[in-house]
Amino acid sequence: MALQGVEQTILRDPALFYWIVFPITIVMILTGILRHYATVLMNNPPKPAATLAESRERLGLIRGVNFRNNAYVLSPESCEMRRKYLISAYQEGAFLKDPENRGQPPANPMTDPAGMEAMMGMMKGNMMMMIPQTLIMSWINAFFSGFVILKLPFPLTIRFKSMLQSGVMTRDLDVRWVSSLSWYFLNLFGLQSVFGFILGSDNAASQMAQQMAGMNPAAGMNPFQPGQDPDKMYQNEAENLAVMEHFCILDGIEERILQNYGSSEAY
Amino acid sequence: MAHDTPELQYEHSSNLITISRLSQQAPRILAQHSPSGDGSLVAPFLKPQYHESYDLLEQLAFACLQSGDDRSALLCIDRLASRFGSSNEKVTALRGLHEEATAEDRAALEECLHKYNAILSRDPVNLPILKRRVALLRSLSRPVEAITGLIRLLDAVPTDSEAWCELADLYQSQGLSSQAVFSLEEALLIVPNAWNVHCRLGEVLYSCASSTDVGKACHLLRRCIQYFCRSIELCAEYLRGFYGLSVATSLLLEKKTDYEEESSASANSMSTDTLKSLNTFARMRLEEIVARRSSDHHLWEYGQAELIAVKELLDRYNRASD
Repeated sequence: MALQGVEQTILRDPALFYWIVFPITIVMILTGILRHYATVLMNNPPKPAATLAESRERLGLIRGVNFRNNAYVLSPESCEMRRKYLISAYQEGAFLKDPENRGQPPANPMTDPAGMEAMMGMMKGNMMMMIPQTLIMSWINAFFSGFVILKLPFPLTIRFKSMLQSGVMTRDLDVRWVSSLSWYFLNLFGLQSVFGFILGSDNAASQMAQQMAGMNPAAGMNPFQPGQDPDKMYQNEAENLAVMEHFCILDGIEERILQNYGSSEAY
Repeated sequence: MAHDTPELQYEHSSNLITISRLSQQAPRILAQHSPSGDGSLVAPFLKPQYHESYDLLEQLAFACLQSGDDRSALLCIDRLASRFGSSNEKVTALRGLHEEATAEDRAALEECLHKYNAILSRDPVNLPILKRRVALLRSLSRPVEAITGLIRLLDAVPTDSEAWCELADLYQSQGLSSQAVFSLEEALLIVPNAWNVHCRLGEVLYSCASSTDVGKACHLLRRCIQYFCRSIELCAEYLRGFYGLSVATSLLLEKKTDYEEESSASANSMSTDTLKSLNTFARMRLEEIVARRSSDHHLWEYGQAELIAVKELLDRYNRASD
């Protein structure tokens, strides 16, 4: 156990600092930039709809969602009319690209070229993150493993030991000492703002953006994931519409206006 | 084509002074934006401005075309084409727009239409060209074909509020008010907070009401008053909304006095008191806005035509009350 109140001192060659800390930092930044451009180059935007029918199939669903969210602007009669129309259209599959294929199991995404492409895109993105990280980590492990390179100017609790001293198997070392491998990890997670500064806020180097994109690819354009059956989504939406509750924002608006805006004036 | 919200578009397209002022900046912007600077190494570091400058060029092209400066517009389009390729959807649409603007006679416009049809037969989902085709059909005064084209477009892209507004306008010009109301309601479902669409819907309902029998008119007027109220609620300074509210309430008050006796029992009708106070409220706000905008030079320029119309209305009221 480290003695309380006694400063641990380790004699280090100051050159360690210049030959490890700076190279790691610079390599990390350069990889980040490189990754950004590689992603931009390899990224192909989601394909827009090729035919009018395909576009209708995609946007028909969004229309229903829009209607469900914003129906409060309509009067009860016109809302009811639209609801009936949309429900029957969804149930009959009027918006489907090819209505005769209804009820059949969806095409296997592995054989469907469009689905294949989407999956490849996701793979490429993941590869873009994995390969450089593996390479750099093995580089650091090979060259700099076991070096203690800097000392933080503030005290920390023992829990940080595993974070700051990975690769150094010394139980008694003060937590403030940082090993080279840990410096790599700190860089990996801490350089977001540097990339933001260099590449602009929507850069592809940041992992957060990657993760978000993984969750919701091309949100606006195509509501269907590869391999999803549009007909099923439509049936769902029809059910949502059937249980929708409608209120009209225009009810009692005259009094509301007079109360909110007209109260200051005397009539 | 730039996906502006409809209210922005309304403001821009209705104001010739702004447009001519914008297009006068053409030489400066064109000089600033030299195409030789593209593709250099510094480009990524200037990214935000870099994107904006192309947006700016597109807007400038529109402004120049509207103010008759066709040569600057062509320059803008050429620069856009050199960056995005001349087969880009927006660039082809801009080129088409330029051709339409410089067309000498009807035959040249027909020629444009043929070109659009040819493009569409190759690429049926070219939205900018689809829209251009509808606009061109309209300016060739073939509204029925324009409506058919627009319905086909909306069948495929039902989430385009601008297209729904345009369809409503076309229907209204053909006297098909209930269809126009339907289209505007569809537009409202996409942009539920657009006060100008609410106001437009009120206007369409008002013009419906003035051409039907009394019983139906009262119902329509009530609805249109509600829409005007909503547009005022969304934008407390909206001159058009107040104008509509004032006109509609006075008409309803007038009609009510003839009609009230027979069907005063209907549950959802608003009381005459509310109507009267709404009418006074609208009138007072109109007077207030006119007084303020007349004194301020900038505001006065902003919507001259509307202000003049409001003044006329107020004059008429004053004369009637004298």
